[in-house]
Amino acid sequence: MRPQTIAEKILARTCGAQQLTRDEFVEVQPDFCYSHDYAIFAIEAFERMGATAVTRPGRIAVCLDHAVPADNARDANNHARIRAFARKHGFVAFFEGGSGISHQVMLEQGYVLPGSLVVANDSHTPSGGAVGALAVGIGETDIGFLWATGRIWVKTPESVRIVLSGTFAAGVYAKDLMLHMLRDMGITGAQYQVLEFTGPAIRTLTMSERFTLANMSAELGAKSAVFPADEVTDAFARGRAQYAYASVLADADAQYRNEITIDLGDIEPMVTLPGREDRGVPVGTAAGRPVNQVFLGSCTNARADDLAIAARILRGKRVHPGVRLIVVPASRQVMLQTARNGDLATLIEAGATLMPSGCAVCAGAHQGVLADGEVCLSTSNRNMAGRMGNKKAEIVLCSPATAAASAVTGVITDARAFLDKGDS
Amino acid sequence: MELGLISGSVAVFGDHIAADTVLPARHGFLPASEAVLHVLAEAGPDANARARAHPVLIVGEGFGYGTGRESPARALRAAGVRALIGASFARMFYRNAINNGILPIVCGELVRAGIKDGDRVEIDTGAVRWQRRTFPIAAVSPLVQRIVLAGGLIAHGRDVLRGMAAT
Repeated sequence: MRPQTIAEKILARTCGAQQLTRDEFVEVQPDFCYSHDYAIFAIEAFERMGATAVTRPGRIAVCLDHAVPADNARDANNHARIRAFARKHGFVAFFEGGSGISHQVMLEQGYVLPGSLVVANDSHTPSGGAVGALAVGIGETDIGFLWATGRIWVKTPESVRIVLSGTFAAGVYAKDLMLHMLRDMGITGAQYQVLEFTGPAIRTLTMSERFTLANMSAELGAKSAVFPADEVTDAFARGRAQYAYASVLADADAQYRNEITIDLGDIEPMVTLPGREDRGVPVGTAAGRPVNQVFLGSCTNARADDLAIAARILRGKRVHPGVRLIVVPASRQVMLQTARNGDLATLIEAGATLMPSGCAVCAGAHQGVLADGEVCLSTSNRNMAGRMGNKKAEIVLCSPATAAASAVTGVITDARAFLDKGDS
Repeated sequence: MELGLISGSVAVFGDHIAADTVLPARHGFLPASEAVLHVLAEAGPDANARARAHPVLIVGEGFGYGTGRESPARALRAAGVRALIGASFARMFYRNAINNGILPIVCGELVRAGIKDGDRVEIDTGAVRWQRRTFPIAAVSPLVQRIVLAGGLIAHGRDVLRGMAAT
């Protein structure tokens, strides 16, 4: 048998085949499926197909995260219909608005597991690759079809090896690495491909850092990204798993489309200029540019470690009077943890505005909309015009450290100046 | 059952058109008949009219990148688009196009061959023809043919469920 990548093994298993060839269109039975507010379109598809019963409701969940709490009757009515559908069909879990961003909640709650094939109707589903799952974004009609039949169609992908070595310099983070990769590879740089992270540095990356990298593989056009399971994965999955799973590693001679080698020591803090996700520059290039809003949130960078980095920089300082700092923890669990350890209080004391856990500003359909000509510096993942609800505003992407330092100064700032001041 | 010929006139668009440009999020909940009025409206002054006037769109690299929302593909279908010929497609958009009965064809050679608005193309399962030239394309898989032929995944799902009930 031909040696296989992680993605090939997981797809072959869920297809009931020994192995698959590249660029083949096959049907697979995912191990888990979740949805969010756009489940409303899946319900419509399900009903228009004439389906009446859900296949395997024990492997289906919904987590409302886009427009929560609802700020208009349409969204409220949609949420009510989704709640009723999930209850009627016995979905294994329903997470009310405020629980957090679905990708974060599904990992925390043990529904996305090593070696599993997980699908959801959201482009940032690849986040689940942090735990060694093959997590793939699909459409809303796909979700309706999956509820009705248990299956979806997939095209089998090529994989790319991303070999990481070395260690980050002080003040450089996983987000900077991803913004650097995007600048070098472009927004179609990994089109249809699965990124398989490997190399001596990956065992030093925390689950949260892996999440950040897998999450933004979507901006490279990737089908997904996956970290092979190791001790970090096992420690995370232990005691959390909601169903039986088996980790999957690649075969030694598996074939990859290509290999990209990166020394983490070569990465410097990056910001991505407005308009497209591959417009990254070293932070110094953009330093001094005024910002009106700073968003510390999103599935990319709003976990406890991200808030801790920001709190360390903002401790005893004030948010610049020309800046609105909006903090949205990725989940209620993150909110509770950072409330207990004091980081949340530090951010609020500095002048941050706390909003309910969810997609919030990043989804552009809810709160935190910008005025014409304003600039938002954001720890989120997308910066095309209009993403945050106003085409005439600009979005700059960065790490939580750069976000926090810039919130203090009111202009884009290299956070390393703050970290050098001996309070670390 | 095989995909028949899709033939018709084309409208030509450029590289890197985001799914959010095909249909902005604020229009995502509109009924298809209203969403049609906004399809590609942000891609240029006459882009909406051009997209609605031709059944085949020629698009560049990375068409449909960004959001995985399905409403952009639904709106394109409602606007009468039957096929897209592009240099490359964002993968979630690619799925959503097929699931809404639109055939996405990867053929960078044709995209860069100087094709213009109003030109006619003929697409079959192995090639695209334009003027007197033939451009080979990857064979359209039988599974994708079945979904597109049915008119999308909802209609295909109806067929599948009828088959499941009969066995």
